[in-house]
Amino acid sequence: MSRCDFKIVLLGSEHVGKTSLVLRFVNCRFNSGTPYQNTIGAAFCAKRMQSNGKDFNVGIWDTAGSERYEAMTRMYYRGAHAAIICYEASSQASWTRLRHWLQELRTVEEDCKVYLCCTKKDLLDSGAAQREVDEEIVATYSQGLRGHFLTSSKTGENVDELFQKIVDDCVADMRVMKGVEEARVQLQKEDAAYRAKHKDYCFC
Amino acid sequence: MASTSKNIPSTANPENVTDDIEPGACTDSILNPTDSFEEFASEMSSSLEERNTLAAKSSTISEIQSEIGESSKETLRETKSSDNLQSKDDSISGSASSSNLTEQNGEDTECERDEYLRSPELVNKEKHVFILSSAGKPIYSRYGNEDKLAGLCGVIQALVSVVEEQNQDILRSISTKDCKAIFLVKGPLILVAVSKSNESETQLVLQLTYAFNQIVSVLTLTQLNRIFEQRRNYDLRRLLSGAERLIDHLLIFMEKDPAFLLGAVRCLPLPEKARENITNAITSTCSKIRDLVFAILIAGNQLITLVRMKKYTLHPSDIHLLFNLVRSSESFKTAESWTPICLPKFDATGFLHGHVSYISEDCQACLLLLTVQRDAFFPLSQAKHTIAEKLRRSNCLVAINDALNRNKELPTTNPLKHIGIPEIRHFMYKCKSTAQLFTSDPISLDRLQDYRLRHKEGGDITEKKIEKLSDIDYVRNYRKFCSQIHCSSTPAKLIFRSNSENTVLAWVTNGFELYVTFDALMEKDHAIRAVDRLLHWIKKEEERIFIMHAPTF
Repeated sequence: MSRCDFKIVLLGSEHVGKTSLVLRFVNCRFNSGTPYQNTIGAAFCAKRMQSNGKDFNVGIWDTAGSERYEAMTRMYYRGAHAAIICYEASSQASWTRLRHWLQELRTVEEDCKVYLCCTKKDLLDSGAAQREVDEEIVATYSQGLRGHFLTSSKTGENVDELFQKIVDDCVADMRVMKGVEEARVQLQKEDAAYRAKHKDYCFC
Repeated sequence: MASTSKNIPSTANPENVTDDIEPGACTDSILNPTDSFEEFASEMSSSLEERNTLAAKSSTISEIQSEIGESSKETLRETKSSDNLQSKDDSISGSASSSNLTEQNGEDTECERDEYLRSPELVNKEKHVFILSSAGKPIYSRYGNEDKLAGLCGVIQALVSVVEEQNQDILRSISTKDCKAIFLVKGPLILVAVSKSNESETQLVLQLTYAFNQIVSVLTLTQLNRIFEQRRNYDLRRLLSGAERLIDHLLIFMEKDPAFLLGAVRCLPLPEKARENITNAITSTCSKIRDLVFAILIAGNQLITLVRMKKYTLHPSDIHLLFNLVRSSESFKTAESWTPICLPKFDATGFLHGHVSYISEDCQACLLLLTVQRDAFFPLSQAKHTIAEKLRRSNCLVAINDALNRNKELPTTNPLKHIGIPEIRHFMYKCKSTAQLFTSDPISLDRLQDYRLRHKEGGDITEKKIEKLSDIDYVRNYRKFCSQIHCSSTPAKLIFRSNSENTVLAWVTNGFELYVTFDALMEKDHAIRAVDRLLHWIKKEEERIFIMHAPTF
């Protein structure tokens, strides 16, 4: 039972910057002072977003990139409305892992909307990192997907755009919205039942 | 000028202080008070054969799952298999590339390798810890780069296996003039500590056991064994990536925090009423969540409260691993986490699933809700918010913050001043029946922070004259007293040692262990009278400094 309307999951190898992306989006900050720390298990964040004039609660699962948690990760993308698969343009290995996740999602969660996200744009722009992943290959891969974003969690570039696109796509999807409505009605019923049960305590 | 007496001399018997029951004792304990020293004894007496089959005991987790009875047998099996972090095929195919890597390193000329062993990264360290697979592959080195230590690991592996195969014996330790090397073989791993510190062999073995348990905690024993059964040559670093940090921090904690030395848990001193309110907030919120095994609130390596499923207790060493996990992971501060956690003493074969989050931005207490149900995140998330709200309304957050910030008005902030015995410089007290600990100078949070920053380049042996002893120096001094008291062949009951630097009294009874440092050249009976008053004070404050109840859901 979740009070979130949409479930988004972040996937990708370790150290590509999934946590930084989420923190930039949810808290609007990037802390270049804190050293890298791997995520343990998975972290959950929620944020209110608007689309089409309506409010939605978006739940984001930031998964650990370490291989150790790989089999665990399946339980986070189960039932996800959208997945952001992250890679680093300067790391061929992270791109190879991305293809693995892509395949996995195709077979396990067919309905999940998939977005590619190339992180650390600021490093590419400043020349601090060299592109290793061929842009043409990326373009070929992203054709069948919902979009490809080049983001920087440090500057915030394209981060909001990425999440806004996801929510807009979800809202435009009739089937997803039907599920969201049903879940909301269900939640209201449960809330009403809960209040009825605890009436004595509230009004005494 | 040391005197050791196995029986407390009648003149020096402060029996009258403990009228009925030792301070801090209660009938029902939240912690499993098994001494780690007892385990050490069994570890040491184990035969070669026993050791090589590190069989896991029956699974507590599946016991709980079947008791809850919701999951039919089939789903139970499914849960088990999907909880295995690594599938069979992956573990085999994946390791090929990394094993090449090590082989390349193996081609280094002998001379280069020798040179690395003399590099400043490695020489002059007080204590090294190496972990390798029984095939001799490096897994972890406290200092330096373990990749470059393949040669050393080969030597270690050879030493262990020669003793094992040729002499049918177990290599325990090698001593040189100023250094001991302690070996511990656990299942598929070999752990080695090379130390110039004053820690005893027992203490070092315990530390290695902790390091092993830390690895089990992220992988489970089942998985660890299976990986090496499938491929003896596996490079475990692939699966441990990111967890080296946990071992790093654990090794630092073990050197600084007496909780490890005594196998006890430190509690955050709180007014009895506040602790009761906190416990009630948790029990009232969580009583209906059926699969919840433990709800644990901690702050700064101290326990605030622990609510548990009936019948199950936690071992202090499992709590220490949780402390270490929370202290070492900044990511818990920014979001709610949902993570698999294996508690080796509780059940080494499987994972519990933990909802881990800080209570609020303005209160650095961390709540862990541990369950056997792996899709319970949202109910637990909801429970956490309810608990946080209740704590805020009942002013408990303020009480926690006061204790954490060491508010000057609290008697427990500076106990020595409050007790008013100026001759006492430092003390630590462990209540044995509840495995809880209290020290006169709780290691403060920011100082623990320091160790973290210092660690990577730190660890060197320095010969500097210490002007004023810190609590850590006192704890260092207690080490040898502690090992005399826990010596399995000739344990001491009471040790009194007085010299021109200080006077130390170490005393163990059935109920407690007490270590006190006094001013230099104290008289024995004077010291005994001071200890008397000290115990009275601890007794008076016991409700505040210890957790005296063992609540269940």
